[in-house]
Amino acid sequence: MAAVLGISGEYHDAAAALVVDGVIVAAVQEERLSRIKNDARLPIHAARACLAHAGLAAGDLDRVVFYEDPVEKLERVLVSTLRTFPRSLRQFPRALGTQLGGKVWVIDRIAEALGVARDRVTSTEHHRAHAASAFLCSPYPRAAVLTVDGVGEATSTALWHGDGTQLRELGRIEYPHSLGLLYAGLTAYLGFEVNEGEYKVMGLAAYGKPRLGDEFAKLIQLASDGTFELGLPYFAYLADAELGFGPAMEQLLGPRRPAHRPWDLEHSADDQHYADIAATLQQVTEEALLGLAREARWRTGEPALCLAGGVALNAVANARLLRESGFERVFVHPAAGDAGGALGAAILGAIELGDPRPAALASAALGLPIDQGAAGDLARELGLGVRTASDVATDVAELVASGKIVAFCQGRFEWGPRALGQRSILANPADPDSRERLNRAIKRREPFRPFAPAVLRDRASTYFEGAPSDLTPFMTTVCSIAPDHRERLASVRHVDGSARVQTVDDATAPELAAVLGALDRTIGMPIALNTSFNGAGEPIIGNEIDALGFLMSHPIDALVIGELVITRGAA
Amino acid sequence: MTLRQALVRLVTPLVWRVPGHGARKLYGFSRAEQASRIDLLQAAQRTTSLARRAAYLRHALDETRHTGMFWRRSTELRLEEARAPFTPPVADTEDLFERLGEQRFLAFVHRGEKRGREQFELYARHFAKRGDSRTKALFEAILIDEQRHESYTRALLVELCGSERAARAELRRAALWEAWRTWRRAGRALAGAIYVAAMTVIYLITGPIAAAGLRAARRPARWQLPAPETPSPKVVGEPAREAGR
Repeated sequence: MAAVLGISGEYHDAAAALVVDGVIVAAVQEERLSRIKNDARLPIHAARACLAHAGLAAGDLDRVVFYEDPVEKLERVLVSTLRTFPRSLRQFPRALGTQLGGKVWVIDRIAEALGVARDRVTSTEHHRAHAASAFLCSPYPRAAVLTVDGVGEATSTALWHGDGTQLRELGRIEYPHSLGLLYAGLTAYLGFEVNEGEYKVMGLAAYGKPRLGDEFAKLIQLASDGTFELGLPYFAYLADAELGFGPAMEQLLGPRRPAHRPWDLEHSADDQHYADIAATLQQVTEEALLGLAREARWRTGEPALCLAGGVALNAVANARLLRESGFERVFVHPAAGDAGGALGAAILGAIELGDPRPAALASAALGLPIDQGAAGDLARELGLGVRTASDVATDVAELVASGKIVAFCQGRFEWGPRALGQRSILANPADPDSRERLNRAIKRREPFRPFAPAVLRDRASTYFEGAPSDLTPFMTTVCSIAPDHRERLASVRHVDGSARVQTVDDATAPELAAVLGALDRTIGMPIALNTSFNGAGEPIIGNEIDALGFLMSHPIDALVIGELVITRGAA
Repeated sequence: MTLRQALVRLVTPLVWRVPGHGARKLYGFSRAEQASRIDLLQAAQRTTSLARRAAYLRHALDETRHTGMFWRRSTELRLEEARAPFTPPVADTEDLFERLGEQRFLAFVHRGEKRGREQFELYARHFAKRGDSRTKALFEAILIDEQRHESYTRALLVELCGSERAARAELRRAALWEAWRTWRRAGRALAGAIYVAAMTVIYLITGPIAAAGLRAARRPARWQLPAPETPSPKVVGEPAREAGR
């Protein structure tokens, strides 16, 4: 029986996760506490928060596991920059400086910052941590596992066979050939921020036609054994970490799209061209993932597939994997990006110390709880209206049904990039005005980005084709809206007729499930528009201070924290 | 007038006229406001007083607004100059509340607000003279908040320190800490420059030889198999693989 802390960080999306006696006790991304989006620094606040939540001190930890091997990473950085001599002249001092100035000493720095004995801090491999987060949190006793991201130490993609508590690596594709870096390069080319704008590219893809197959054949070649090879002359990340694509890509696809220029997909031929690029990229990514999944199915013979790594957050591709790869079931870790590696590392450490495999992840509410009492006190101090709801679910459903936009905070915050009913903004999915106001005044998203629906699990199949599945509780897939409901659900329908569905029940988000039940009685559908509770460019809300700050600075109609209904005016 | 104020007054008309500098400077302000916002949110989380928590939160919301105002004006200027706008500001934090404690933190914030107010008053006058009413209005709007921040942080500092005299002593200690931080930053910048020069020399000397060897050793973009127990008959034959699907 052991207490093991997993740590990810030093690149982007730092996080800490705590496993005690084989039970996942807490998992927290640093950004939720520091309020810096994708905070990459060592997640010391998150680590301390996990320990405090469990009532443990750092001295109680049996092991701390960092999610990648810092020395192997240094070797890869050194080799890849020297290999690209002399193009990497600017990159070399910077990359080596970052590594030698801090990253390579990360184990010592963790020990020192947490006050843990140095011999209790170890590391694992980046992709093994991802694989563990996917398979060992899944409901499958045996499964094929794929980990696909930008790059770990030197690996971009790995194929595993999971059996019980064991993970056996079957093969890997090495840097610089990387689906994550292909997607990142084109994300930058399309004018979005890398490690943040990939969702936008996925949303944009539905507005384009995948007509640039010939051009993309130069960017990536797919082989029949699931491997792929990038056309390296088109990419710049070997020589310049800040720019994923090189001049050759602009010669191939045209000039890059200027960042922050407003999108006009109806009237601008240029923007339609960029949408076509996004569509082709999405199609190529899906084909590459399908190739990998078919290879995984063929090699393992397993009926279930687990996925992790940043590329596994591509919900549209995940839907195709479930439909077309031959696997009967697919599970994607809710924090499939680097944050999830912290939980994978913690579970690996716990199993190595003899603990059992954790129970399948039923809910992503692994963060810190919100304090209703403190929220009420602070709200009154700030002069806000505060009242206690007689029936929270009914009150929220009535507000939403009447076209109000309600921020909804309940219990512990979510693990991963999705708001799943613990820190959500809810609106009426059948009311186009609510959607319009939500986007214009609060979220300020690009016009092509859809909002998502949350639906009661046992009613999901009425409204969404293919739901529920192992993917839908964590919003890691898309489903087509059933033809009878397409018109009414226009506010959560993407241009291709799909929706990124979250299925909800008492195990995943009981308070949201109650609201959906009440909405069924009010608007005739157990569905809410559910979007993340954050402002543009900010991390999702963590505690009551962030939540009240949001209410004071954004035109939402009400903030519900536990049983409190808080408004800007008098209660 | 301090020496610093005199210098700022002297160079202000010059630096704002440098092409491209105005947008960059406004962007720098937006980053500074963003950093201040994060520090204040952390202070709101950590203070033990409900009244101060509310005050820090209100201040943080002002900083959020200022971040957006500076960034939007910077974007306008960049577009007027036919240049790509800067990306939305992302700032780091130094965990000042945790490192300094609440009294020193308040003294530090007060000093920053006072400095900002003095600077922005100068800039507002400068842009009024230049006839740039938009940038003048920006600084004037933010000045109102800066004056309020300067005043409330001073009042809170006195309250927390227990007397005006103790508050002045805390302000002096904050000034010393800032000077020490500036010294350390300068040292780091110098060390960084020396490091880059040294690494560049090493790169130029070792690079050609290493690159030749490493390029020859590059592995193909195919499955690298870590374990010999991988079922080899299955991975050899492409037809068998296709048939298996």
